[in-house]
Amino acid sequence: MMEVEGSNTWMNRSPPPQSSFVRSKALYQFKQQKLPACKPVLTPTSVITVFMLMGFVFIPIGFVTLRASRDSIEIVDRYDVECIPEEYRTNKLSYITDSSILKNCTRYLKVQKYMKAPIFIYYQLDNYYQNHRRYVKSRSDQQLLHGQEYSHTSACEPEESSNGLPIVPCGLIAWSMFNDTFTFARESAKLKVSRSNIAWKSDREHKFGKDVYPFNFQNGSLIGGAKLDPKVPLSDQEDFIVWMRAAALLSFRKLYGRIEEDLEPGNVVVVNLMNNYNTYSFSGQKKLILSTSSWLGGRNDFLGITYLVVGASSIVISIIFMLLHLKNPRPYGDNSWNKKSLSS
Amino acid sequence: MKRFVYINDDEASKEVMNQYFLLIACLQLWSLITPVNPASTWGPLIFIFAVSASKEAWDDYHRFLSDKIANEKQVWIVKHGIKKHIQAQEIQVGNIVWLRENDEVPCDLVLLFKCGKKWTHTLQTAALDGETDLKTRVIPSACVGIDLELLHRMKGVLECPVPDKDIRRFDANMRLFPPFIDNDVCSLTIKNTLLQSCYLRNTEWACGASVYTGNQTKLGMSRGIAEPKLTAMDAMIDKLTGAIFVFQIVVVLVLGVAGNVWKDTEARKQWYVQYPAEAPWYELLVIPLRFELLCSIMIPISIKVSLDLVKGLYAKFIEWDVEMIDQETGTASYAANTAISEDLGQVEYILTDKTGTLTDNKMIFRRCCIGSIFYGNENGDALKDAHLLSAITSGSTDVIRFLTVMAIGNTVIPVRSKAGDIVYKAQSQDEEALVIAAAKLNMVFVGKNANLLGADESILPYACAGQQTRTITEAVEHYAQLGLRTLCLAWRELEEDEYLEWLVKFKEASSVLVDREWRIAEVCQRLEHDLYILGVTAIEDRLQDGVPETIETLRKAGINFWMLTGDKQNTAIQIALSCNFISPEPKGQLLLIDGKSEEDVSRSLERVLLTMRNTTSEPKDVAFVIDGWALEIAVKHHRKDFVELAILSRTAICCRVTPSQKAQLVEILKSCDYRTLAIGDGGNDVRMIQQADIGVGISGREGLQAARAADYSIGRFRFLKRLILVHGRYSYNRRAFLSQYSFYKSLLICFIQIFFSFISGVSGTSLFNSVSLMAYNVFYTSVPVLVSVIDKDLSETSVMQHPQILFYCQAGRLLNPSTFAGWFGRSLFHAIVVFVITIHAYANEKSEMEELGMVALSGCIWLQAFVVAQETNSFTVLQHLSIWGNLVGFYVINFLFSAIPSSGMYTIMFRLCSQPSYWITMFLIIGAGMGPIFALKYYRYTYRPSKINILQQAERTGGPIVTIGNIETQPRTMEKEVSPLPITQPKNRSPVYEPLLSESPNATRRSFGPGTPLEFFQSQSRLSSSSGYSRNCKDN
Repeated sequence: MMEVEGSNTWMNRSPPPQSSFVRSKALYQFKQQKLPACKPVLTPTSVITVFMLMGFVFIPIGFVTLRASRDSIEIVDRYDVECIPEEYRTNKLSYITDSSILKNCTRYLKVQKYMKAPIFIYYQLDNYYQNHRRYVKSRSDQQLLHGQEYSHTSACEPEESSNGLPIVPCGLIAWSMFNDTFTFARESAKLKVSRSNIAWKSDREHKFGKDVYPFNFQNGSLIGGAKLDPKVPLSDQEDFIVWMRAAALLSFRKLYGRIEEDLEPGNVVVVNLMNNYNTYSFSGQKKLILSTSSWLGGRNDFLGITYLVVGASSIVISIIFMLLHLKNPRPYGDNSWNKKSLSS
Repeated sequence: MKRFVYINDDEASKEVMNQYFLLIACLQLWSLITPVNPASTWGPLIFIFAVSASKEAWDDYHRFLSDKIANEKQVWIVKHGIKKHIQAQEIQVGNIVWLRENDEVPCDLVLLFKCGKKWTHTLQTAALDGETDLKTRVIPSACVGIDLELLHRMKGVLECPVPDKDIRRFDANMRLFPPFIDNDVCSLTIKNTLLQSCYLRNTEWACGASVYTGNQTKLGMSRGIAEPKLTAMDAMIDKLTGAIFVFQIVVVLVLGVAGNVWKDTEARKQWYVQYPAEAPWYELLVIPLRFELLCSIMIPISIKVSLDLVKGLYAKFIEWDVEMIDQETGTASYAANTAISEDLGQVEYILTDKTGTLTDNKMIFRRCCIGSIFYGNENGDALKDAHLLSAITSGSTDVIRFLTVMAIGNTVIPVRSKAGDIVYKAQSQDEEALVIAAAKLNMVFVGKNANLLGADESILPYACAGQQTRTITEAVEHYAQLGLRTLCLAWRELEEDEYLEWLVKFKEASSVLVDREWRIAEVCQRLEHDLYILGVTAIEDRLQDGVPETIETLRKAGINFWMLTGDKQNTAIQIALSCNFISPEPKGQLLLIDGKSEEDVSRSLERVLLTMRNTTSEPKDVAFVIDGWALEIAVKHHRKDFVELAILSRTAICCRVTPSQKAQLVEILKSCDYRTLAIGDGGNDVRMIQQADIGVGISGREGLQAARAADYSIGRFRFLKRLILVHGRYSYNRRAFLSQYSFYKSLLICFIQIFFSFISGVSGTSLFNSVSLMAYNVFYTSVPVLVSVIDKDLSETSVMQHPQILFYCQAGRLLNPSTFAGWFGRSLFHAIVVFVITIHAYANEKSEMEELGMVALSGCIWLQAFVVAQETNSFTVLQHLSIWGNLVGFYVINFLFSAIPSSGMYTIMFRLCSQPSYWITMFLIIGAGMGPIFALKYYRYTYRPSKINILQQAERTGGPIVTIGNIETQPRTMEKEVSPLPITQPKNRSPVYEPLLSESPNATRRSFGPGTPLEFFQSQSRLSSSSGYSRNCKDN
């Protein structure tokens, strides 16, 4: 398949190699465009082999990844509709915007398969444009790290200041923080849920200031999402740090916590939640997810299936090429084949 | 004397590009619309300007250094009778400059005094015109006999013409004021001047008045900047860039409208976005402008820089090529114009000079005819002809006179070398040959002493009445058929008073400022009558090595040859025959266009045209021959017919043409949209060389004038083969890949941005961060592709053996809208692959923006590395280093950025690389992205191969190299869909060869290669008709 072309005449004349000589020889070859080169040839055998091999590599990987994906068990519960009382179903918006109503709701999640701790708790928002340009830019990394002393926060518009005072943390992302809360119990016994360590360590340590405290936050006329405890520094407000990592997709999950107990099949997890966050005005969805994690991450069949498809198709291509080659064998460099095939 | 002029080659398109990028960069400063940090545009912009600026600064610096040396050189000037040392840059017009032997002349001077005899060769002009002989320089008559002591008291007026670059003319006058000469006008010629950069030789000292300084010297003027040439590929790239720009505008408009609609319908519901109810007036513009910025990377900012770099390297490759070094003189090739090497691969017409280009320009006296006796017929060397020798010893008057005329009727300067030998230095090679021959026949020519010699046609009419010129005419014919250059020698004795009378007129004529040359010629003609014809000399001008082979190979490559020569018809035809230019009778056919009057020429042209049209269906080698006179008439009155003839004819011989006619012919071919290459060696070819798309000069014996004016100068004609087939072809192929790839990678990232905008509310969010966007075009993707500059699709031997392969370049097969569409499609496909896989593999809890962006970017980088690898034909160490090294570099750079806490992508790359899913995703992207493309390539390569592929297969599998010349017997059709000229064509053509595009006059053009007629590219008509492009249709 490979052939090495070198500068024959030159090499024949060459005295035994020395380092400077080798360099000058290489330079000479470069200048004469005669560097030894390997020229791959697309022979039928090599190409068929390549595709066959690709198939044989991709299909096992596909199975392995699919297996890994199936290994992680997940329970998905969409609660945004169910958690609205019947009488408000026709006008969900008035329900969610009415701050006088206590919006608690209870969900029962049945465990089908054994789930091994840690079980990750995610909330998922669908049709939520965290990647909208106006939104994603509306933050100040410097302020998050240095606090009020950093005042160039024009990017935070329109949540830069209220009542003439700067807002910390400023910007739309912070302002619209998710504020549904969940508590978990199993058969009336509270589940052990860890809410720490859900944000990236690097964010906690280097992106959010240890002595930056929320200030003048959610004090304006428009109240967005969650409020922050002004006594806790930003670097310790992990929910907030998680939220501040904007998602690139319309539907995304964010880590809420971890259940540190195994769940047996048949167990019913009782979730008490506060349905505060408004996704109704833009017909978004809210979901609660309990999921274990494999080496590949959460449950996602896409990679495995695509691997299988690509692997299978490369085997098909390889077979097609093989048949083509058998039906129409042609020595290379020959061109005496049917001209019609060319000109048609 | 400073010269800091720098004009960039393709400054026009560059200008537009630069303005575009500058506009984009300025828009970036508006933070409302900028998708990312403005640095993402400013960075590359500054980088690229820095690169090109430092390139220019480097050139300027070198120029500055050499200027400085020249400017600060110490020279002696004479002022108020005292010799003073000043710097060369301080010389002013009118200063008297004093030079010693071997001094370089600092500016153009008029010689006033010099030491020694009046007639000595004193000036070496090699730096100016490349002629190594010494030139005679004389003191103007007015200054003769003036005492040197009076120098400082000399006063006078010098009338000089406006500075020009003609180094052979200086029509000036000098008047000295009393007491020297009573106000008499003394004419000055070039013989009275010392020109800048020449060297004073054989003279102890000399003094001159400076007349031109600085850039106004002859040298300074001739250095002038040649008009920038735009290659066909540049034009195509500009067109494609324009198309991409239009596409970009469309995308921007569509997305801008969609964005505004989405904003007003959907975004208002997204409470967290807080769109204000009322917006400023420019609100509608914001989203389109954001997309304009996002899509601005569609036009790769790096393309011009990488192309410049690569072109510079091509030029260097040409200069470095040891196979193009003339072993005799050691002159290497030189690429004066670095920007047009890919045009070499697209040459369709070569217009060549004859003497010195095809031939050696080494004249050797072979035969002669004295009276009516032929000498040298038996052994081909008159010098060894016993009859001639005995005639000399016996002292035959005619023979002696003949030899005398041979020896003295010329401008040859004998130089007595140290050993006592006499060396003859002449400006005309013919004259030199004659003198040397005469010397060998014991007629030693020692001193300078009028007699005539000239081309036969000019002399014969002046022969004295009654003399029998028939033998002479026959002799001329006979010699011309042998391909020898003939000169007639004639003689007349002048009476004393006749001579004196003539001398007065001559002097008068030679002091005229206007039309001096013509006046002198007129005066001289008066002497030329009643000549007694002595005989004819025949000088052989040998063909250069390898000329026939070179011409044959290049003709096989589909290049048409026209020979333009000042020589006479017969000699031209003989040379043409001997170098494979035309085939002898049964196969070839020569059609002669001649005539002295308009009707004659018109009739003759009609006839030739008719024959031409009829023979196009036969595989016959038809060529037309035209002389300067007929050409003048044909071009003036029958331009349309002549142009048609030019299109139909693959070969033409134009003899007795003037330099401006040569240029005119180039102009005609260019107007038909052919790529022309002009090659020549002498000053008479300069205009043609400058006019042609590519000018090649042979640095030969007629001086360096042609080589200086040319884009490329080579030592021998046979190097042309290598220049075109190897360097031109590789340059074209590589650049075709490089430029399309540049668009591919830019479009790839741009499409991903566009797709992302569909899931980000058409709001103009950038998926990639500033660092990535900035580095993508400038580093990640531009390094591997630069190495394509040493890629070779076929080995040099295969190309030389199968020159037909050049057709792919000539027809622009590798870069045209349809190949570009392929690359466009590929980038679209790859963008889909990367985008779809990324957003699905990194869905749900992994959908963090920075991570997702980096995954998509890594996918792009991996894919482009594999695309470059797949498109590389030969892998050298450098290719491996750059392709895979670049991948490593990508990760290193990103790790570095991931280690900076303040950067947006802090820890991102470490996180990604530690996840197995990242690598699995990459592998999937590569498999899914490259699999189909690889399969398609293999399918095309094997089942729809181009001839390049066939040769690749043959050469790489080590199988027998097939002679693709033999595959088909059907004649090749060169499609030319649209002719820029309204020429109609008779439609009754042989139905068997009826081409697809019967309307076009060129559709029937066939390859009449001297080898086998072949159908080499049988599928081309199909391709060209379906895709709407083809060779020669560059402007439709």
